[in-house]
Amino acid sequence: MVFVTCKDTVTGRACCVVLCTTEEQNLVKELVGLSTRDRIRAIRGLSMSFKEKKHIRLVLSHYVSLIIKQYNTNNQVLIQWSCFKLFSQSFRRCGYSIKSARQTLKLWQSIMKEIGGRFGTSVLSYFVFLKWLLMFNIFSFLVNFGFITIPLLVYDPSPNIPPNVSFTGLEMLTGAGYFTYTIMYYGGYSNETLVGLVKYDMKLAYFFTIAVYMVLCGIALIFSMASSFKKNYVLADPTSNSAWQLLSSWDFSITNERAVRQRKNNLRVQIQESLSDKAQRQLLTLSEKLKHLGVYLGFWLLSTSLVVGCGVSIYYLYAANWSLLQEAETLLVPFVVSLMNLVVPLLYSLFNKFEHYSSHRRQIYALVVRNILLKMSILAVLCYYWMNVVAKKFSCWESVVGQALYRLVIVDFLFLMLGSFFGEFLSNVIGTRLIPRLGVPEFDVARNVLELIYAQSLAWIGIYFSPLLPAIQILKLFILFYLKKVSLTQNCQPPRRTARAAQMQTIFIALLFFPFFVGSLSIVAYTAWRLTPSEQCGPFRGLNSTFSVVGVWMDDLHEIPGSQWVIWIYENIIKSEIFYFLMTLIIIDTYIAIENKPFMNCG
Amino acid sequence: MGNKQTIFTAQQLDAYQDCTYFTRKEILRLFYRYRDLAPQLVPLDYTNQPDVKLPYELIGSMPELKDNPFRQRIAEVFSEDGEGNMTLDDFLDMFSVLSEMAPRDLKAYYAFKIYDFNNDDFICKSDLEKTLNKLTRNELTEDEVRMVCEKVIDEADLDNDGRLSLEDFQHMIVRAPDFLSTFHIRI
Repeated sequence: MVFVTCKDTVTGRACCVVLCTTEEQNLVKELVGLSTRDRIRAIRGLSMSFKEKKHIRLVLSHYVSLIIKQYNTNNQVLIQWSCFKLFSQSFRRCGYSIKSARQTLKLWQSIMKEIGGRFGTSVLSYFVFLKWLLMFNIFSFLVNFGFITIPLLVYDPSPNIPPNVSFTGLEMLTGAGYFTYTIMYYGGYSNETLVGLVKYDMKLAYFFTIAVYMVLCGIALIFSMASSFKKNYVLADPTSNSAWQLLSSWDFSITNERAVRQRKNNLRVQIQESLSDKAQRQLLTLSEKLKHLGVYLGFWLLSTSLVVGCGVSIYYLYAANWSLLQEAETLLVPFVVSLMNLVVPLLYSLFNKFEHYSSHRRQIYALVVRNILLKMSILAVLCYYWMNVVAKKFSCWESVVGQALYRLVIVDFLFLMLGSFFGEFLSNVIGTRLIPRLGVPEFDVARNVLELIYAQSLAWIGIYFSPLLPAIQILKLFILFYLKKVSLTQNCQPPRRTARAAQMQTIFIALLFFPFFVGSLSIVAYTAWRLTPSEQCGPFRGLNSTFSVVGVWMDDLHEIPGSQWVIWIYENIIKSEIFYFLMTLIIIDTYIAIENKPFMNCG
Repeated sequence: MGNKQTIFTAQQLDAYQDCTYFTRKEILRLFYRYRDLAPQLVPLDYTNQPDVKLPYELIGSMPELKDNPFRQRIAEVFSEDGEGNMTLDDFLDMFSVLSEMAPRDLKAYYAFKIYDFNNDDFICKSDLEKTLNKLTRNELTEDEVRMVCEKVIDEADLDNDGRLSLEDFQHMIVRAPDFLSTFHIRI
């Protein structure tokens, strides 16, 4: 037994703190050696009752100060130590209050709790993802509006619109006409250095704002992906299916009585199925396997040909129908694109019903891969057309591309609303009244998340051509949240199969990053690097490429004394290939380091 | 820092923040939730650490717990007396472990204790049967129950003693990717 005499900080009385067991002593000895942050994390992770945790915490704090006292008889050091402790404590309290303050900004907390309580975690993951994307767009809007638009508005508040153009209602839909000359698009921004309180170079501001935003987005995505992967993506052991079903599949967050009853029913059915499944699985003969394989290949061929067909038809539609004057006709391409995005995934879901998959998860993966191929090829065709044809044909081509993206975003939103109607409301009506065998539909998380990812990549591509596009995206996501929530609660039932929500979440983030964000970033980078900015409008007029803005700035900096270090950084780091190689290495190292961070043990 | 409140001393709040995964705001919010269950029993002044315990019936009637098939076991595991009557500390501890910030190992430990109905530090066949019946509303036949429990022990029992120890359970949980998100109660 070890006795430690100390003063109780709460009541002020002297007390005797007794460390009774060697386990506790060992624990305290182990924890003393850690930094304060790790110590707090260790205390929180202890598997003991609250009283014992508080006791350990108290003992630790007294033990630590006792060690310091024994080690330093010098009063000076003691005073410094107490000051340091006070400082670190108030720093920690400050950190806690910042965390608290952040929680007041938590949007939609109660709605998400209700959805999670009724439908479970997998459906909730869609809404969590939507909220996360909303944060990206809010940040983008604030950054763009603050650094690019506000300086221009302050300097020159009235847009220079030619006299015969006036505002008609159609602009809200097509984005052309009156809007073409406003700050909505690239063309509305000047290339001058605004002289006001400070000299503000619009070219540099535009370039750096967008570059820094994209880089920050990329970093945020990499970190989310890494942490989500570490937490959730575990190689599932196929042999422990029953144990998993019984002991860790029950969703504790479901709080609705009917939902609980349904879950129990579903679990019972699943257990009964898996008990009889084992007998049936050996009955698949070779011919049946070949038949299934044939069916898979056939449907894959069909999906791929659908994708190719869509891509080719969009290209020809665009090439044939480009006319700036007839504004209503310009809506045709976005309409067709969104129609394809609506109909073809539904067809894929239909194909899924005819195919036999060995597990539910493979079914979802196949669906996801097909949808991604479709959306990526549509985006690729559109970007190819814009970069190669539009860039050479029009005088103020960036604004034209910006308008095309605006139209795509708006029409996509209208079709998402329609999709809610067809996907959920009609399915509900069909399932309950017309064909009762189908039953009430479930909320298709994968398809909806992919739609969100597609919408977000449109916004990311559009930032360069239309800096205020994130504002439209914010509005779109905001309305979509409420729309989907209402549609969900009125039309859908909780999912019958407990899908592996956490793994799907990781996969969605990885999908957002890898094909879509990297693709959007490459399109913007290609535009900045290779394409000539238009001569008559925009912040980069007259230059060979957007990126040469930095070169011009470097030349200007040669004249200003004291800025040699910036030029040195540019010449030796940014321009050299070694930098990018090192960055890639650093990113990979950080990723691996996050993965391998040791867990705290408990118990 | 922040708003002035007279329920806890600063040291008490610090201790709560250091020992749970909650922020100051959440701790105060949870205190009010605790108090709402029985306003006449719970004082508004906790600075002198009153000894107040709410009976299990009140805890079990909370909307977050009332439909949970394991609510009684959850309350028993986290309560000091093992009967389900909870003090404020037990209440905060319970929701802290069940929050989304608690790590996997901690949750696995408490999940094990919850499924261990007879408190013998092992999940034996009778514990599994009770769990299964709670999860399926007693609608499976006895044969099916027996088969499922045997399968579970076959799959997860690594040291071959016919019952699951904490290590067996943790080993299985490591391979259950969704455990972190399912063993989670929002409050």
